[in-house]
Amino acid sequence: MVLENVMAASAEIATIKTLSLMMIGVAGGLIAGAIPGFTIAMAVVLTLPFTFGMPPSQGLATMVSVLVGGLSGGLMAGILTGIPGTPSSVATTFDGFPMARKGEPGLALGLGVWSSFFGGIISAILLMTLAPQLARIGLEFNPWDYFMLVMFALTITASLSGKNMIKGLIAGAMGLLMRTVGEDEAVGMGRFDFGIDPLLSGFDFIAVLIGMFAFSQLLNDVRDPKVARKALTDRGGNVKIRIEHMRAIREIAKRWTVLLRSALIGVFTGILPGAGGSIANILAYDQAKKASKHPEKFGTGVPEGIIAPESSNNAVEGGALIILMALGIPGDVTAAVMLGALLIHDIIPSPTFISEEPVLAYSIFIAFFAATFMMVTMQSFMLRVFVLVTKIRMYVLASIILGFCGIGVFALNNVEFDIWTLLWFGILGFVMRHYGFPLAPMILGVVLGNIAELNLARALAITTDLSPFVTRPWSLFFMIIAIFSALFPLFQFHREKKKKWTLFYLPFGCFAASIPLYMMGGVPRPILATLVVAFGAYQLWQRARGGWQVEASG
Amino acid sequence: MQRLNRDAIIAIILLAFCGVFFWASFDIRQPDYGVLMPSTWPRVILGVMTFLSVLYLIQSLSLGQEEIEDDQYDAEHTRKPGFRGWLEHWRNPLWCFFLFFLYLLTLPVLGMLIGGITFVYVLLGMLGGWDGNKPVVHGVIAICAIGVMWSVFTFGLGVLLPPGMILGRF
Repeated sequence: MVLENVMAASAEIATIKTLSLMMIGVAGGLIAGAIPGFTIAMAVVLTLPFTFGMPPSQGLATMVSVLVGGLSGGLMAGILTGIPGTPSSVATTFDGFPMARKGEPGLALGLGVWSSFFGGIISAILLMTLAPQLARIGLEFNPWDYFMLVMFALTITASLSGKNMIKGLIAGAMGLLMRTVGEDEAVGMGRFDFGIDPLLSGFDFIAVLIGMFAFSQLLNDVRDPKVARKALTDRGGNVKIRIEHMRAIREIAKRWTVLLRSALIGVFTGILPGAGGSIANILAYDQAKKASKHPEKFGTGVPEGIIAPESSNNAVEGGALIILMALGIPGDVTAAVMLGALLIHDIIPSPTFISEEPVLAYSIFIAFFAATFMMVTMQSFMLRVFVLVTKIRMYVLASIILGFCGIGVFALNNVEFDIWTLLWFGILGFVMRHYGFPLAPMILGVVLGNIAELNLARALAITTDLSPFVTRPWSLFFMIIAIFSALFPLFQFHREKKKKWTLFYLPFGCFAASIPLYMMGGVPRPILATLVVAFGAYQLWQRARGGWQVEASG
Repeated sequence: MQRLNRDAIIAIILLAFCGVFFWASFDIRQPDYGVLMPSTWPRVILGVMTFLSVLYLIQSLSLGQEEIEDDQYDAEHTRKPGFRGWLEHWRNPLWCFFLFFLYLLTLPVLGMLIGGITFVYVLLGMLGGWDGNKPVVHGVIAICAIGVMWSVFTFGLGVLLPPGMILGRF
């Protein structure tokens, strides 16, 4: 069955047109990822209008290619100029740039490219194997569980995406509220239209995404008139650099544990809603440094310092796609855009997605694999293009893309109101960025708003009794981890101040999470619950042995 | 307690926003069927948002204004006082907003091709300057970029972009 699906999906992808579009997508992603100030989410969201006229598998393959290219593009800028192209390649600059300055840019690039490749492949394998398994678990979910899953996704995104948790939660609530504008999906009554007819259809969420991410980002990029008139970077690097492929592969082979650990960190971070490549690359770098016999050499140009962040940031999207394809919940903003792409083609991701649309699901898997291979082969060529692109001035790029945003957004539904939506949400996004409100929770709120409301309506249609929210194991599980994730910023803040209660955060979190696991019954889950309780008890015992002293770090 | 700071003002604006939406939620028609009324979910969200905004207000009044990391431009430039100083400080984003707004207002007349080219051309000039051969270079960039994009969508993807009154005659 799996083999049949793989064959059918391969046949869908292996057409000249699809492969050509994928190559263009990878090339575009590599360049977009390499330009400081542009984000991968922005590249993917701007690709969306081009794909709506394509068959679903072709459109999604193109978008996956932009995504994979974008994940790897940041390393070129980071290594050659010391300016990370994207937030997910920040840690790559710590050792990549020093290595390039020491006279080994070819090796540094090779390590980056091949770490990205292996990270992507590990992630793709896990995507193919874990997503169908997780989807089976997802089939157990009822409306109460789904509602709580959305609440958990919003809470953890808010807690991870900014310094101020309250601002993150306000942004998430704002996103949910914006989604309620227009006719409600359950009974079709108009809401918050203020007498304006186009508002009855609500805000198109792709227009909202492009406005919030692309439009507001471009305004940010041209804020400084002097910087806007300069070339993207005056440190374009040497065009004649040759990527040292074989030497890089040998160096990575010697450090395969770093690669594997970092890729797994990436996948896990991707699975966690709200935590993306920007967190994974720092986390993987930090772990590689802690595990190294020579941590003091980090920052001077050691191979581990490039392998860890690059393999982890490429593995992130596999993790985010696992959650998206298995449960229909986007793990991060780029996955939210992918969700938008699926919705454009009238495909609603849910636990039944993989079983109901196996060819499409497997074509996404295959596209992820194929794009990763394309990325390696195209890096050397795109390096030359990257140097040319860096000579363009930011205001030129921003003006052209703003013009494109208008055309692209209109093309989605042929509705002029969508371009107004783009403008208003662009302004809102810009203001929110300026005042420190994270955009990710708002985006997830907009994307997940109707899923939450529909599931709440379904739950209440079954019974008006609210107790299933705490008596159903999965719902209770998501509620508990939502509460603990909401407390996480407070825990971090108080831990720095050495408050005693922080000693009990992790053990109590384990004990609480084990309750619904026990409630689920069967054999494996109670065993897992026992392990979780044992871990919590061990943590408590360690703290007691340490005399209940709070350590500020670790 | 300190005087009203920026965060407190934002919190008050958010509370006012919640108030307006609460008031608007009473205009939502309630059908005789269904368990979850169309106004219930928005009101739940507004309740949560109001509570969070109150917390934000209390936090901003008791802890003071949260330090927001200034971007390089903010860090290097002190804004001149007054409305003129504000306009100067936000010059580029304001041009982007204003020109995009004009682009949308004139869309029914100019259409997407002429309007798009004009928007990109004027924006390039306002952001990049009009000195030297820039007007010509900007013109070429605007025509090529929007022309190619318009062609891709019109001929490649078969999207009927607004022709406007001028091109609509042909």
